[in-house]
Amino acid sequence: MKFVVCIKQVPAVSELPWDPQTGTLMRDLAEGIMNPACKHALEAAIQLKETLGGHITAITMGPPAAEEILHEAIAMGADKGVLLTDLRMAGGDTLVTSHTLGMAIAKVCPDVDLILCGCHTSDSETAQVGPQLAVELDVPSVAYVEHLEVLGTTLTMRRLADNFLETLEMDLPGLVTMTTKHYQPRYVSLGGLNDAFLAAEILILNADDLGLDPERIGIKGSATRIQNVYAPKAQKENVVLKGAVKHIVEELFARFGDRIAGAIGKDLDGRQ
Amino acid sequence: MYRLEHEGGVSLDFYPCMKHKVIRKTVREFAEIEIGPIAHDIDQEARFPWEVIEKMRPMHFFGLQVPKEYGGADLDSISYAIVIEELSRVCAAIGLCVTVHNSVGLYPILKFGTEEQKRRFVPLLASGEIIGAFCITEANAGSDAGGVETHAVKDGNHYIVNGTKIFVTNGAICGAPLIFAVTNAKNSKKAASVFIVEKTTPGYSVGEIEDLCGMRANPVSSLFLEDCRVPEENLLMNLGDGLKIVLITLDTGRIGIAAQALGIAQAAFEASVRYSKERQQFRQPIGSFQTIQNMLADMATEIDAVRLLLYRACAYKDAGVTFSTEAAMAKLSCSTVASRVTSQAVQIHGGYGYSKEYDVERYFRDAKVTEIYEGTSEVQRMVIARAVLTKPS
Repeated sequence: MKFVVCIKQVPAVSELPWDPQTGTLMRDLAEGIMNPACKHALEAAIQLKETLGGHITAITMGPPAAEEILHEAIAMGADKGVLLTDLRMAGGDTLVTSHTLGMAIAKVCPDVDLILCGCHTSDSETAQVGPQLAVELDVPSVAYVEHLEVLGTTLTMRRLADNFLETLEMDLPGLVTMTTKHYQPRYVSLGGLNDAFLAAEILILNADDLGLDPERIGIKGSATRIQNVYAPKAQKENVVLKGAVKHIVEELFARFGDRIAGAIGKDLDGRQ
Repeated sequence: MYRLEHEGGVSLDFYPCMKHKVIRKTVREFAEIEIGPIAHDIDQEARFPWEVIEKMRPMHFFGLQVPKEYGGADLDSISYAIVIEELSRVCAAIGLCVTVHNSVGLYPILKFGTEEQKRRFVPLLASGEIIGAFCITEANAGSDAGGVETHAVKDGNHYIVNGTKIFVTNGAICGAPLIFAVTNAKNSKKAASVFIVEKTTPGYSVGEIEDLCGMRANPVSSLFLEDCRVPEENLLMNLGDGLKIVLITLDTGRIGIAAQALGIAQAAFEASVRYSKERQQFRQPIGSFQTIQNMLADMATEIDAVRLLLYRACAYKDAGVTFSTEAAMAKLSCSTVASRVTSQAVQIHGGYGYSKEYDVERYFRDAKVTEIYEGTSEVQRMVIARAVLTKPS
């Protein structure tokens, strides 16, 4: 099977201070990390590849420094990395991002069977790129998938939607966006990481390589504009947890685990 | 901005390459998630966390600079320093286990061992299946390796080893420590040899775990060798090459301890910055006081300065040039700064810093020994001074 995993480098948000004057995140101060949901999507692809065999191409769009996460992806188990980088692509919204990714996939992996994306990114949270990319490539898609299984050319997926546990089927080729529920990403080995820097296959493409219309990329091609970014007003609530320490900690994570995980950009499930 | 380029090429490059950045991030993430939550408790309980070691094995932590053919990660020395630094930033005792294992427990076999010895021991060590150690120190021998009393006597195709080693890092958990023993007391320069002694050897036993000030999660102990019959194929290099092995091994070991000290200093510094922003006194964060700012500025400057010395020693090692003096300078400066910075961190935290509730108390205890083991600061100065004085003036 041929897999394409779309990954994004995001700032490690938990460490990021806000600039109170402009209301924007001071991104320059942050380390870039692979977006957690993207990492889970990659892990899902690797696990499928381990049982079914195949080839994984990891694609990212971003500044040259985003190459880091491609090496990381290769150390995890991807076979090839593709970096789409071009100053003209900068500032693009989700629509042009999907278009750019779609053009890249059509070029570097036209016979892809399954495209996997993270369900959302921790730095913008739109959750739009995956589904839009499916439209771009004219393939079916399912968002917020928790678990995958492949039988022949059919993909069976499980997801939680509106508190219903759904099992869905989709013919391949298709696209899924993955949550961080399952597929806890593996740690990479240091030797694997070393190899991924010494002898990794990384393809670097710009807008011309992809034959992109300059009017349809970057801030120029974007259909949306961000008017204002502001910190949400804190809605404070005092919660007092009582009882034994063990009970309090369990209660804390049961009630706020999702929000804590979201804030630190890491999945807390399965790690004590 | 970071690279100093001139017509002759790049003279200095202070910018970390992408690989080093990613290795740092990877180890930091692992350490913070898997070790961070237990670092305080394993120090208090003086417990070696095998459950963490289990997770570290497949990540190549035990074969950091071992070639791939023996199952290692084959990292360069700066990567090695970064790994130890990041582990020690979260838990110095685990950083200690890993650096001692790699740099003095395993490296001598890789560097001086026969092909047969390498095939037998390196894959076991590199996979972390067995933990390594190097034993020189005895009751009457520390800085002066000439005082070693453990001795080995040839008997057929074996050596009979007798003696007691003390303060062995990884002592209670090591599987095949390297034992420094006297083989010819009459020849002062070629008096000692190094043997690979497997813990299954009859007569080998582990003493009580030392009740130490810091590094408490590492089971530092004595090792007793009572008529241990060690096969002659476990002799490292030639008879009498012990001192040579020790001197070369310690250069590498010092890089590891310097990295460890740097990691502890970094942790204490970060904790101090956080606390300075949070702690309110006189209705303002203490970080707004110049006296605290001065301390933080000095800490940041000193840490950065010694980090450069450390990476220089690593770069020299990888370039294949002599790095003995550079490693001694790095070890001396990193450990001195670790002691000073952790002490200042306690000062910034005030009464809380003196409490076991806060991590800086642990950093303070852990830092001190970096000025003592792998050659005391005084021994480092001796090494540096010797180099300085032999240079033509």
